[in-house]
Amino acid sequence: MARLRDQLVNFIAALRDAGVRISVSESIDAMNAVAAVGLERARMHEALAAALIKDEADRATFDEAFNRFFAAPRNRRGEHPDQRGDQVSAAAGRGRPGEDPSPRDDAPPQKSEWPRDGVASDRDEKSSPSEEAKPARTTMAAHRDDAEGKDAERDSDKMRGREERRESDSRGESPTQGIEAARVARMRGIERRPFDNFSDLDYDEARDALAPLIRRFRIRLGRRLRLAKTGRIDFRRTIRAAMQRGGALIDLNFRARRPRHVDLVILADISGSVRYAAQLMLELMAGARGCFRRVSSFVYVDHLAEADFEQGHLVMTPALDLHARSDFGRVLGELWQRRTGLLTRSTIVVVMGDGRNNRLPARADVVREISRACRAVVWLNPEDPARWGTGDSAIKQYAREVKLLVPARNLRELQVALATIA
Amino acid sequence: MQITHEQISDGLKRALYVTNERVETAIFLALALEKPLLIEGPAGAGKTEVAKVLAEILHTELIRLQCYEGLDEARALYEWNYQKQLLRMQADEQQGLRWEELSEHIFSRDFLLERPLLRAITSPSRVVLLIDEVDKADEEFEAFLLELLSDFQVSVPELGTLKARERPAVILTSNRARELSEALRRRCLHLFIDFPGTEQERKIIELKVPELDAKLAAEAARFVGAIRKLGLRKPPSIAETLDWARALVRLGVRELDTDAVRTALGVLLKHEDDRTKVESKASTLAPRRKSAT
Repeated sequence: MARLRDQLVNFIAALRDAGVRISVSESIDAMNAVAAVGLERARMHEALAAALIKDEADRATFDEAFNRFFAAPRNRRGEHPDQRGDQVSAAAGRGRPGEDPSPRDDAPPQKSEWPRDGVASDRDEKSSPSEEAKPARTTMAAHRDDAEGKDAERDSDKMRGREERRESDSRGESPTQGIEAARVARMRGIERRPFDNFSDLDYDEARDALAPLIRRFRIRLGRRLRLAKTGRIDFRRTIRAAMQRGGALIDLNFRARRPRHVDLVILADISGSVRYAAQLMLELMAGARGCFRRVSSFVYVDHLAEADFEQGHLVMTPALDLHARSDFGRVLGELWQRRTGLLTRSTIVVVMGDGRNNRLPARADVVREISRACRAVVWLNPEDPARWGTGDSAIKQYAREVKLLVPARNLRELQVALATIA
Repeated sequence: MQITHEQISDGLKRALYVTNERVETAIFLALALEKPLLIEGPAGAGKTEVAKVLAEILHTELIRLQCYEGLDEARALYEWNYQKQLLRMQADEQQGLRWEELSEHIFSRDFLLERPLLRAITSPSRVVLLIDEVDKADEEFEAFLLELLSDFQVSVPELGTLKARERPAVILTSNRARELSEALRRRCLHLFIDFPGTEQERKIIELKVPELDAKLAAEAARFVGAIRKLGLRKPPSIAETLDWARALVRLGVRELDTDAVRTALGVLLKHEDDRTKVESKASTLAPRRKSAT
């Protein structure tokens, strides 16, 4: 049994390497699960999946690893006469290097990124070059504690999973099975793809995924903004009501809350580098318009222009030259001139941009003025925080003057960031 | 009571729940390891049904907590019966009881309104607790569930910690309206139920609508499988497929040709867009054979 346990530990380690997050308690669950269902292969397969895989998008990775670690008996027929027919050849290959090549030869040519023997007693061996996509994995593994590298790895895994799934769809296997799973995996992939390597295709896909996001976002925002019906207890009215019942405090009366209005001013940079992030944000906010008293959207490159969404297309007046040099300092000046009626105590200003100003005057002092005039200025930056303040980025100067500066590198972060503004 | 894998498969069969190894194993493990089972999948794939069937297999009560936006502890766990407490206070006052005696009275179990979660915990026998559509509840509520799901105990400040006498079998379902937290996922076993394949759906139809001709059932299953792949706004659920099959029986349809498909489409599709989409393709989707003129 100890051997099986080792094998399971190695299996879990391999899954972790492939980017599946598995906690210690989950690996204990996995052991208990196997103990409960026994070694019959199909059952053990499903038992491990139930205990370890909490996200259908990871299922493909899991299945692949399982097949590698716990080979189906027929592949090894004749080689292990001692193996009982029905049982999993657990720990196969371990310490028997000579028998390893067999599955590679007679197994149908599957796509696999790992060496087929797979028993991680020789995890170092993984660095030996064998199949595509492997070098990336090993270099990533070297910086495993680097959270960002991990994310990237996860993303690339997701994308790979997605491609495989598409392939299997087009091959026409399993007619209905997996449609929903594939959709979910696709959605998650796009939510986590960083904006800075978005293509037009990705943008279209993200827009398709936006509808449910908008709904979710609106609910979340609405909840934040919704007034709790009751405020503090109103003592006088409560006592008065109690008088009618001989002094028993049966009904409590509460003070009504004062209504809270939020006006929103959005400034979004639509110059080359950050335009996808900006457009997606504008579209999200357009969907959640009802949550605010008034929403004024602006886009800018070197000038300010009013922005609106008409049938899903961004319309700006006046039109902007998208290839001009960004100048946020000037944009700030223009906004400040228009402040009457626009920037009030109930206004929240949301800026979406990377703060790269082509070394033109940053005018952080105007941001300070705006901060004073409004309830808050919130800055969303689609750039990686590691790059903030490098080169021509003036974000550090602005950071001092705004209430909140949050990264919004992908759709997921964007949602989280937007939800914090209200 | 120890339950075996075979008992689960038999029970599912007897309850007319068509399933596969994946579902059986997950349910068995949830019972064997006494862990909550989180079921995800598209709406109408039979997630909630699992809990109902499980209660049937275990011959026990199903306690259901339907989650929604704004669900709070008072609705899910317990609430003090405020009015009853007041009445009691007045009654006690007339007897001239001291404060200590009085407070002992009014914060006892008699004055507690038990909501589903507390009921599941305090139940003397093992029950099935269904926490339905947990993704619709707020994040705060999800965090609150963590204590319950890992230790099967809840804290009521005035009474102390209440621990489950018999751990309930817990089923959580989610439609992914929002992403659930890692912490919650970690505490649960996971099962993904997708729409059934054509063959499985045919079995379901045959089991639940035995009046329908076997050949027609197979065609219906194939047709539903095909329209689910069209990317509809709301793909038909299993329940809708069954309704449709029943409708076909009542309409006396003998062959599933284009006209037959059109007449009862409203049972299957609940959006006008979907309907036009399918109708435009009905001729290619309907089983090839045309009705003999």
